[in-house]
Amino acid sequence: MEYSAIFWWTTLWLLFWGVVGSIFTRRVYLRKDLDTSNSILVGSMVGAAFGPVGLVPLWLKTPEISRKLILIPAFVSVGIMMIAFALADPQNNCVSNGSFVASQITNGLIIGIIYGLMALGLTLIFSILGIVSFSHGEFYMIGGMLVYYSTVVWFPGLHPVIGVLIACLLTFMLGAVFERLFLTPLYDGRIDRPVEYGILITFGLAFTLQYFVQAVGGANPVKAKRFFDFPRIRLPDKADPWLIKTSRGNMELFDTISISNPRFVASVISIMVLLGLLYFLYRTWTGKALRAVSQDRDAATIAGINPHHMNMLAFAMGGMIAALSGATLVQAFSWLPQVGMIPAMRSFVIVVLGGLGSLPGAFIGGIIIGLVEAAGTGCVPDPQKASSYIPAYGMIVLTLTLLLRPTGLLGRRFASGTHGKL
Amino acid sequence: MNRQQTLWLISILIIVFFMTFPFLYGRRDYDYIMHVLITGFFYAILASSWSMLSGYAGQFSFGHMAFMGLGAYGTALFSHYFYLSPVPTNLCTEFEIGDQYFIIKDAIGVTSSTLDQDCLTKALAIWDGSVQITPMPIWIGILLGSMLGGIFGLLIGMLVLRLRAAYLALFTLGFSEILRATISAEIKITRGQAGIELPYLFENGITVFGHEFSKTDKIPPYYVMFFLLLACMAVLAWLAKSRFGLFVRALREDEDAAAALGVNTVRFKIMVFVITSTMAALAGAVQAHYVGIITPNNLMILQMSLVVAMAVIGGLENFAAAAIGAIIIQFLLELLRESFVIGGVEVDMTLWRLVFFGALLMITLRFYRNGLITPIIEFFTRAHVASETVEKRMDPKTEDVEEEGITG
Amino acid sequence: MIELEVKNLNKRFGGLHVLKDVSFGIKGAELIGLIGPNGAGKTTLTNILDGAIKPNSGTVYLNGQRIDQLPPFEVAKVGLGRTFQVTRSFRRMTVLENLYVPALAKHVAADKTEVTNKALEVLDFLTMRHLRNEYAQALSGGQQKLLELGRLLMLDPDIIILDEPFAGVHPTLMEIIYEYIRKVNEEGKAIVLISHQMDSIFSLCKRLLVLNYGDLIADGAPEDVKNDPVVVDAYLGKDDDENSDTTNNEKQNSA
Ligand SMILES: Nc1ncnc2c1ncn2[C@@H]1O[C@H](COP(=O)(O)OP(=O)(O)OP(=O)(O)O)[C@@H](O)[C@H]1O
Ligand SMILES: [Mg+2]
Repeated sequence: MEYSAIFWWTTLWLLFWGVVGSIFTRRVYLRKDLDTSNSILVGSMVGAAFGPVGLVPLWLKTPEISRKLILIPAFVSVGIMMIAFALADPQNNCVSNGSFVASQITNGLIIGIIYGLMALGLTLIFSILGIVSFSHGEFYMIGGMLVYYSTVVWFPGLHPVIGVLIACLLTFMLGAVFERLFLTPLYDGRIDRPVEYGILITFGLAFTLQYFVQAVGGANPVKAKRFFDFPRIRLPDKADPWLIKTSRGNMELFDTISISNPRFVASVISIMVLLGLLYFLYRTWTGKALRAVSQDRDAATIAGINPHHMNMLAFAMGGMIAALSGATLVQAFSWLPQVGMIPAMRSFVIVVLGGLGSLPGAFIGGIIIGLVEAAGTGCVPDPQKASSYIPAYGMIVLTLTLLLRPTGLLGRRFASGTHGKL
Repeated sequence: MNRQQTLWLISILIIVFFMTFPFLYGRRDYDYIMHVLITGFFYAILASSWSMLSGYAGQFSFGHMAFMGLGAYGTALFSHYFYLSPVPTNLCTEFEIGDQYFIIKDAIGVTSSTLDQDCLTKALAIWDGSVQITPMPIWIGILLGSMLGGIFGLLIGMLVLRLRAAYLALFTLGFSEILRATISAEIKITRGQAGIELPYLFENGITVFGHEFSKTDKIPPYYVMFFLLLACMAVLAWLAKSRFGLFVRALREDEDAAAALGVNTVRFKIMVFVITSTMAALAGAVQAHYVGIITPNNLMILQMSLVVAMAVIGGLENFAAAAIGAIIIQFLLELLRESFVIGGVEVDMTLWRLVFFGALLMITLRFYRNGLITPIIEFFTRAHVASETVEKRMDPKTEDVEEEGITG
Repeated sequence: MIELEVKNLNKRFGGLHVLKDVSFGIKGAELIGLIGPNGAGKTTLTNILDGAIKPNSGTVYLNGQRIDQLPPFEVAKVGLGRTFQVTRSFRRMTVLENLYVPALAKHVAADKTEVTNKALEVLDFLTMRHLRNEYAQALSGGQQKLLELGRLLMLDPDIIILDEPFAGVHPTLMEIIYEYIRKVNEEGKAIVLISHQMDSIFSLCKRLLVLNYGDLIADGAPEDVKNDPVVVDAYLGKDDDENSDTTNNEKQNSA
């Protein structure tokens, strides 16, 4: 128990010098008449990683801010935190158990891909319509529900993949209809505060959908069957330290990493959808038009693209992508009408972290959040608390992002939250 | 009588109606209707203060229910853990204050067996009725709860200063989810989903004008909540009329322009956060003492959705409209509770009413952007404007000087 | 005595050096034109003087008080008011309320009847009294511009910076704005007028500042500036093509 003091004091130390660095580095750069963008980030990172030993040379030399100057201290501070944690709690699973750590990381990566896909939908909607959809979680929930209902209740025995397709189709239509009915006033300047209107109207949709599903289907948790079973494999055949071994619902690699079937299948589907999406966005005319509208609406209009169609397409596709993540995950988790809340929050965090409006950013953000959550759920000592606090891990990331680099990792055009004012 | 005066008259009539209602109404469902009204007043405070925050100042926060919860849990924890006793227990943490001992009960969460009981219960068992301990007065708890809400309002207000619209909404939503998660997870202290029980507003009953009311009577809490609502409305009305209202609306419209004209936008943004979250916390604390229990489910996003919908349907940019909308909707929701059967299918109205309600929210937003109540109020307050403009355009020379109402 | 002292202002946006060692001064109730091609840094200069953005280096003193590190609302109270290139009225507040904001923000203990009377006076001057209870969003674009000018009168600053007040304005309204500028200037306020319309600038201003991509390349009487070879080279163009210049800019401004 007394060891845990090490961890908290280290955290405090890092925080203190991070704050000192972020406050004064900017001033120093300003005074020396240098470019101050990112100086807050560099200051806090260097401060957290090296404390005064790093800050003083930084302030004396004020080197030009480069990616290296941000990343190295960032990794160093993460490393320090890890060492402090290991010292504080040497018995912890994520310190002493190598295979647990490997599993946790692999699963974090896998789930991160799915998170990234869902966040991609949100960022797509934002980059075209300029609103943040608060009904993203409900699309996710409906996607899962539709797979469950189509394969278990309405047409028992239907192949789940067809269920996924049905879910996609219906949610796409739902998104399109909603956009036509409720979002069109956004485009002709009839609304004074379009961003707020977008928040409230999608919030209303979320509320309605959630209770609609609950009223129709009840509030009991449901779960779909596994989409596919793994074939039974064991390689190399009889040797004892195997490389890969599968049972129907699980796969083990190198005798250490264990991946459950539903997550694996979901992430494979996500990767395929992602590739399809990239092809669509970069190789087809419609996809290019979509990206054109997101970059310069007026120019795209002049080039003969109807932006209204693109709005509809973007909202419908964004919703469909969320539904798809839900549809693939309904085999992994039990499903309730309220299940969308946490994934929605997580998507927001990812999108802000990656940079609002940036497609690759959403993906990288997804993987980072996947890893952070895996670390959080794996390492926090009390497992019951660890899972209750899942939304908190993301929020810490969100707060840090907003304070240190509001544009997110890859966001340039959208200075987040301040409309380019920073 | 002009329309302005008509409006005054209507408002006074409404107030008189609610003042006398408990004595006029005599049906069998008396307690139930009173309960609906008390809850309606509670939501009215939340909706109107949220309308000040989002409608007037333009800060779309989804954390309002979290502040409500802070107030409720603040007073709940206070009354749950702190007591005064004339003799030391020698079991609990305690300090001597004058001739009394200030006792802090230990946090043990939900007791499942008779063996692990909190220190105070053990001490009481030892004393076996020989010692009378005093619980803390609840008004101190309510005060502390409101202050807790205000302090968090200050912190959140400072944190979100630079955030606009969507980011603000995301951040506050996250804040309220974390608060809920924390309360659910810290079972030792907050008893998690089981919730904390609180003493009633008038735990020992109260005697007013010679009439004795027991602790479960509805009339005393009715008036407490109603006067609280009136007080909040008075404060909001004063704020809206004063320079505060003018400045927060200016910063909603255009922060940079307001700053360029000398408005300290930072200060007013933080102030509006502090004031509205204190109101929410106060309402939450009083409501918790009225209901007698607070659980993390009270902080769920559903509750926030209700407040948002009430304010939007009433009229976001008029706190009075938001309050009236809240009371009406609370009533409608209760009326629609009855489930019924059509063609052998049971329609569970407890859920469907929320679906209709969500649809109403969307339709209001889409087609009646000022809400459903605000236009009625504006019919009375702004009737002269349009005709005036047209008249003057016809004949720009006629001029009438009249006092314009603002207070410095 | 009004005195603005700008010394060695530098401003960078990332790699872009928008203002390079800009220095000038204003003494007394001058009427100064500030011109320069699009992207020259005029609005950025306004934003720095107003406190909305901070310079990388350099100082600004107004009436002996340093203002370059102050927030905008303090600067407004010290005595500098500005309009925005894109009109920014408080759209969902009435015309009168728009006018109350600066008056009440500047004077903590303002008397309400006094403020109201002053606001009505201002509205009379702008020929907008009959619109006093309309929401600003119900006004035409030109009327909103007038309203913005009215707000400045209510703020009552020593120095007023007008960022392209003539953009998208009909000649009749232009007359009102001309009159506004002259009257306010005669009342003893210094005015900095940013515009691309050379004829307005030349007919109103007695002193001209020329900003050319961050460099302040000229500062003097309009006639001298007009014939200054540096300015002619950089900005005004070779011939007497002021008119075509004006129409071009008008197009851009109204966009
Ligand atoms: N916030 C900002 N971030 C990055 N660059 C900026 C910012 N504000 C202005 N700039 C750049 O600074 C330069 C000067 O801009 P500024 O608005 O001051 O020009 P201007 O002289 O007002 O032009 P115009 O006549 O078109 O109004 C431009 O190149 C612009 O792109
Ligand atoms: Mg400009």
